[in-house]
Amino acid sequence: MNKEARLKASINQKLTETGERDRLKELLRAKLTECGWKDQMKAQCKEVIKEKGLEHVTVEDLVVEVTPKGRALVPDSVKKELLQRIRGFLSQHAS
Amino acid sequence: MKMEELSVSSLDNSKLEALAQDILSDLVEDACLGLCFEVHRAVKQGYFFLDDTDQESMRDFEIVDQPGLDVFGQVYNQWKNKECVCPNCSRSIAASRFAPHLEKCLGMGRNSSRIANRRIVTGNNTNNKSESDQEDNDDVNDNDWSYGAEKKAKKRKSDKVLLFSPCINVFIVFIYKTSAV
Repeated sequence: MNKEARLKASINQKLTETGERDRLKELLRAKLTECGWKDQMKAQCKEVIKEKGLEHVTVEDLVVEVTPKGRALVPDSVKKELLQRIRGFLSQHAS
Repeated sequence: MKMEELSVSSLDNSKLEALAQDILSDLVEDACLGLCFEVHRAVKQGYFFLDDTDQESMRDFEIVDQPGLDVFGQVYNQWKNKECVCPNCSRSIAASRFAPHLEKCLGMGRNSSRIANRRIVTGNNTNNKSESDQEDNDDVNDNDWSYGAEKKAKKRKSDKVLLFSPCINVFIVFIYKTSAV
């Protein structure tokens, strides 16, 4: 267990250090906008806002209501592409 | 770079896969949070529902394409021929000459201290009659303050390069003194 945790920590560090994490973030954001996920999520947010009222909605409200749906709505193709890149990074840096 | 204790051979593929899924999960969570912040800011700043405006109101904000107007429909050259009253000397000055006039009038700006110095010098060399004509020259030629200085204007051309630095003022005074006949 300990070895795994250490590996995970070291991989995360590598991801940040090499800038790969930022590149992956950008890639994910671009893909999600492209496939319409962002617009879907904005519609969800509108629901929450109408429910809670424009003046009183907080970041917490949005996060709690919208994040689970967000995770579920990510298309498989996007997931696959990101996973591919991540696996490539792992094989490069974990051997 | 090798991590001896942490090599792939000691971990099977499923663990690596789990790691990859974890990383993906982190990234997705990050994206969701980012979106929430973006939306929340848009709500609080008031621009979230902007694209829901009805067609009627949208027409109020269409780009204006008429001659003489800018894209907002405002007239943009109406101040060209206006006259402004100088707060210092209470004269009426044309708008395009107003800024240079203020520079001289208030005694600020790059050229006014040089010109003031020149006035002192030429005021000493020529008689006081020409000084009363100085004010009228203001709008005609901002670089000449008195008729007495016109002769010096020709000589001044060779000194033009020196005039750009205020610390050379003292130097210029000496030049004029030696060239005065």
